[in-house]
Amino acid sequence: MSQYFAGVDIGSTMTKVVIMNQSVLASVIGPTGPEHRKLANRVMEEALEKAKLPFEEITYVVATGYGRINVPFADKQITEISCHAKGVAYLLPEARTVIDIGGQDSKGIKLKDGRAVDFVMNDKCAAGTGRFLEVAAEELGVKLEDMGKLSLEARNTVRISNTCTVFATQEVVGKLSEGAALPDIVAGLHEAIATRIYGMLRRLKIEREVALTGGGAKNIGLVRALEAKLGFAVLVPPEPLLTGAIGAALLGKDIVKEAEKKGTPLPRAERRLQEATLFT
Amino acid sequence: MPEKVALKGLAAADKYYQDYGLRARELKKQGKKVIGYLCAFTPAEIITAAGFIPFRIKGDVDEPITKADTEMETIICPLVRSCFDMALKGNYEFLDGLVVPHACDSICRTYDIWKYTLNLPYSHFINMPHGTDDASLGFYREVLDTFRTSLGKFAGKEISDQALAGAIKLHNQNRAKVKELYQLRKSSPPLISGEELTKVLIAAMSLPVEESIEMLGDVIAEVKGRGGLSARKQARIMVIGAQVDDIAFIKLIEDSGAWVVADDLCPGAREFLALVDVSADPLAGLAERYLRKVKCGRTYREMKGNYQEYLEDRFGHMGRMIDDFGVDGVVLYIYKYCDPYGFEVPQIKSYIEAKGTPVLYLEDEYSMSTIGRLRTRIQAFLELLGSK
Repeated sequence: MSQYFAGVDIGSTMTKVVIMNQSVLASVIGPTGPEHRKLANRVMEEALEKAKLPFEEITYVVATGYGRINVPFADKQITEISCHAKGVAYLLPEARTVIDIGGQDSKGIKLKDGRAVDFVMNDKCAAGTGRFLEVAAEELGVKLEDMGKLSLEARNTVRISNTCTVFATQEVVGKLSEGAALPDIVAGLHEAIATRIYGMLRRLKIEREVALTGGGAKNIGLVRALEAKLGFAVLVPPEPLLTGAIGAALLGKDIVKEAEKKGTPLPRAERRLQEATLFT
Repeated sequence: MPEKVALKGLAAADKYYQDYGLRARELKKQGKKVIGYLCAFTPAEIITAAGFIPFRIKGDVDEPITKADTEMETIICPLVRSCFDMALKGNYEFLDGLVVPHACDSICRTYDIWKYTLNLPYSHFINMPHGTDDASLGFYREVLDTFRTSLGKFAGKEISDQALAGAIKLHNQNRAKVKELYQLRKSSPPLISGEELTKVLIAAMSLPVEESIEMLGDVIAEVKGRGGLSARKQARIMVIGAQVDDIAFIKLIEDSGAWVVADDLCPGAREFLALVDVSADPLAGLAERYLRKVKCGRTYREMKGNYQEYLEDRFGHMGRMIDDFGVDGVVLYIYKYCDPYGFEVPQIKSYIEAKGTPVLYLEDEYSMSTIGRLRTRIQAFLELLGSK
């Protein structure tokens, strides 16, 4: 009988679910609302539908991300540090360092033999995270997904000196009124985030190759700005948002295999997907 | 009114921890005088020798700092501000006096604010030097003599060498009890949790030394006599930091699936494990202990030998504790704006990592609302230790 493993990654902005056996069978990415439990349920159901599997067929479910405790049908919660490490080791085995730029935090992870051995994390301040760009994009009247491309047209990158999101927004308004070109300002914003993240990462002693994951990795301008700091090209998985969920599913698989090998019973949560919505 | 709470051992510790200052208030009503002090660098022996009750002032991570903000800017150590905030809010109204040592700059420079605002019958500043050379040691002995004279004047009787020697003996006994308690953390699982031990040590800071010795003795007997903690295999963690005067952080680590079995903290190993040598001149013994034996980031140790020897001189005691207590991982827990420990972080981290023990460095703001945010990092660190 085939075994299936699900990974549920509830980030501050996006919720991601993957279902795997030997490889990824189905994946769904949806926005994280204020109601994590209900949403995890819905995204899971969508993924099951895509994979054409009933929930009972899923051998093990691992939840990760900042909303990981709010997944009532998960068998285990594992932090996003371990899950990103596992996901990157699977997708990009040559990577030794991971940079994850999420909506609410950014982190750096050092890998050795496919496992996290050290990490740094910024979750105290919006500067250096996706939220910083979101706020700035709104202020500039640019769509978040257009920021990357737009910044590549920059001729004279504007220096954004403030690393605080609130003050940087004011600075952006000031630059606009001074007549600075939009691409130059956007490039300046990417530069500011890259500087912040690079400063945090240096504590880890960056080793090549470097993989970039999370929503930030989908922004070409930010990728280029980080590469300029690092002095070399980074690796980006095909869908950088799914790394954590893939890692979660794979760690679930490890847990199942380990239990089978040892002949110990599998510690599982009482899961009833349908009833999960009762929590709302 | 009862002489003391009827509870014993861990239950007494819990009571004194929950209602910090309870015993001091009782004794005050009985006519005893209570001298409050900041930091482990106040030689409590001298206060005991004068016939007063030494009482360590602590902050409260659960209480947002509000009143202190009008006197101290937010760039000052949050622990010092919290202590002051508690005093302003009337939590330490029973104090007859205040002693402040030149521990770190935040503590030193706020002495005048404390003195002016609280206006207690007795206030004294101990001008403790920062170097450990012979000249500093001689100077410090004289500084302690000035404190002895000043406190003697307030007590209305001179503090004799004999009284000092007696107090030193008591405080050494208290420290020996703590050391005995620490031995109970060495087994796997430990006989006492980090949360329980922290509570006991915090409670001890608020008691007359004789009562602290008694409570510690009861705790040791109780812990030895009961069944061990859950036998589940968990990571053994050591916490290093400045003053951790609340169980919240230790509890967060243990709730994430680990034992806290060792520390270099105040209250904790740093403060309690070094004894005062019994010498002909009690003040010289005190000076030697506080300046040279208690190893804290506030004291500057002059570079001796090569760099490796210098690191060994500063952090060797941490390395030995890691070995003796079978520590799997170290959490370095530093408050924002704590410059003595801020300066120590890179060296402590590299010293311990060079031994092969992983280190998690966490910066915090001395507030319950920020402690929760550290949960993911602690869990990730434990996962990383578990998969090794």
